[in-house]
Amino acid sequence: MTEEIISLDHGSGGKVSHTLFSEEILPLFENFELSKQDDGATLDIEGTKLAFSTDSYVVDPIFFPGGNIGDLAVNGTINDIAMCGAVPKFISVGLIMEEGLPIKDFKRILATMAAAAEKAGVKIVTGDTKVVPKGKADKIFINTSGIGVIPPDVNVSGNNAKPGDKIIVSGTIADHGITILSSREGLKFDSDIKTDSAPLNKMVHSIIQSGCDIHVLRDPTRGGLGTTLNEIASQSCAGIKIDEQSLPVRGAVQGICELLGFDPLYIANEGKLIAFVPEKDAQKVLEIIQLDEFGKDAVIIGEVTAEDPGKVFLQTAIGGVRIVDMLTGEQLPRIC
Amino acid sequence: MSLKYVEEYRDGDLARHLVKKIHAVSKKELRLMEVCGTHTMSIFRHGIRSVLPRGITLLSGPGCPVCVTAQKDIDAFVAFAGIKNVIVTTFGDLIKVPGSGSSLAREKASGADVRIVYSVFDAVNIARENKDKEVVFCGVGFETTIPTIAAGILMGIEAKVDNFSIYSANKLTPPALAALMETDGVEIDGFILPGHVSVITGTDAYRDTFEKYDIPSVIAGFEPIDILKAILILVQQNEAGKPALENAYPRAVSDQGNTKAKQIMNQIFEVCNAFWRGIGEIPSSGMGLRKEYQRFDAAIKFGMDMPDVPEPKGCACGEILLGLKTPEDCALYKKKCTPMNPVGPCMVSSEGSCAAFYRYSSLER
Repeated sequence: MTEEIISLDHGSGGKVSHTLFSEEILPLFENFELSKQDDGATLDIEGTKLAFSTDSYVVDPIFFPGGNIGDLAVNGTINDIAMCGAVPKFISVGLIMEEGLPIKDFKRILATMAAAAEKAGVKIVTGDTKVVPKGKADKIFINTSGIGVIPPDVNVSGNNAKPGDKIIVSGTIADHGITILSSREGLKFDSDIKTDSAPLNKMVHSIIQSGCDIHVLRDPTRGGLGTTLNEIASQSCAGIKIDEQSLPVRGAVQGICELLGFDPLYIANEGKLIAFVPEKDAQKVLEIIQLDEFGKDAVIIGEVTAEDPGKVFLQTAIGGVRIVDMLTGEQLPRIC
Repeated sequence: MSLKYVEEYRDGDLARHLVKKIHAVSKKELRLMEVCGTHTMSIFRHGIRSVLPRGITLLSGPGCPVCVTAQKDIDAFVAFAGIKNVIVTTFGDLIKVPGSGSSLAREKASGADVRIVYSVFDAVNIARENKDKEVVFCGVGFETTIPTIAAGILMGIEAKVDNFSIYSANKLTPPALAALMETDGVEIDGFILPGHVSVITGTDAYRDTFEKYDIPSVIAGFEPIDILKAILILVQQNEAGKPALENAYPRAVSDQGNTKAKQIMNQIFEVCNAFWRGIGEIPSSGMGLRKEYQRFDAAIKFGMDMPDVPEPKGCACGEILLGLKTPEDCALYKKKCTPMNPVGPCMVSSEGSCAAFYRYSSLER
């Protein structure tokens, strides 16, 4: 690494984040569980399979259409655990607050955390609060960790994608990232877009209970669908081909992306999953997802190929083909 | 908000029909240059190269504003960030471009007050809210952007904001096309002219260049159907041996362009010489502040005059902008120069040809 300082790119979830992880973090903690690089670690404790995950939330603004940093933090960790094929059970919460945060904001955030946990059927069982002087943090940062139980015979991992698998996305992409961007100061879009932040554990539970063969589950958060597909292609040494016309993107989200020069494939989601399922089970799993309250717009977007391992290709609407690379750093609005 | 009109211009059937026609008409080997960076991006994003006849080569021209910004101007932006009590405001594209010593991103990470804005008006507002600081706006853009910068200055005057200034590295498109045609070794069989710029300038702005060089020139929009249509027209003109200046983007571009925008631009700015990265100084290709508005000129206000330094050794951005080389011909490409560690600006901007090649080109020929 030639960079001597941490930049915002290191937190983008794209290539620069991955390099930081693989070159600077993984070698220090090298172990089997960490090296799998899934959304959460899967652990075997005396015969019981558990999923364990942690995530920190530093979103700005802390309140945005459709949610706030609190329910985002609860749903995010629930989803990371669910993506291991697990049933999330318990969550911890760490709050780092900036001096001066209005108590009413604090109350509002914690109330939504409680509601989010209740809705998902998980318990917040331990936590911590710290306050730092004004200017040493931005209003509030939240860390959540959680554990869940993996049912016997479930083996879901980013390295399980197989040629022929169909790829299902559970709904429209890029809603969360564009909601945050358009609620930031200076960008006042008049639209009805809201975050897609939602717990996906019930959807995952239904998929697992169906008895269908599930190879990969992943929630394409930071870095977006394009980055997540690249991670899976690389973990599974498989090629991925997706169809541009099948990608579900809301009109307003597409519009803002066009204006700012953003590609929805690289914009964060907080309530969507992608499932890699053998063709024989794909239709059934799609229907199960569509029956879930957060999966109505689910579609099949592509498939896994034996060719071009590690690469993701997109068939464009005009019949062309292009590569979908991993996001490198933060996407920046263009000049014209 | 919805952009329904976009879908019509991404229609698969219509696209396939145009592609078929291009294949039917195309006989000669042609080198066509898309002048604008947004075209470069769109061509990659929609996989347009992958559907064209093998004989047609698309070249990226000097139309990404970040890519053509001279090293000395980048150095000036970085230097402003180092001045106490100065807030540097910039478009996002520019922030990672390396100057000869640092970049705005690096200065920001080290504590300088560098803020990404979406328009010059945001910068004026930051000045209003920070009366004890000086706000400098990095003025980098073509005809599309310059009128808004001019409007920002008018806004500053009206709001009596005196702690706001701009550093103008703004540039004009037609003189660059002429300079390109005069460069040794440049072989171009047609121009895909920039859509956004032409909305302001109008078709007439290219007439002199067209008449002097007699080169097929078509103004195009940014959707795949727009671009394929422009390519078809350029192929037809070349095959028939009948060069023409055509407007294939009439839903947005008129002959005269946006006269009000041009009037505001010319009220605040006047034509001057400008340094283009890799090309050097092109006469009458820049827009500097008129004398009566020089109190808004950051270069004068801060006495900023950076030396003209050579571009990084081995960086082929200049030749790439002229269509003399492709990114793959550059010795640094994908080796020393990547989007994570860019050497030249073409690897930084999302619309830079090197960044676009890096991101999309594995399957391109």
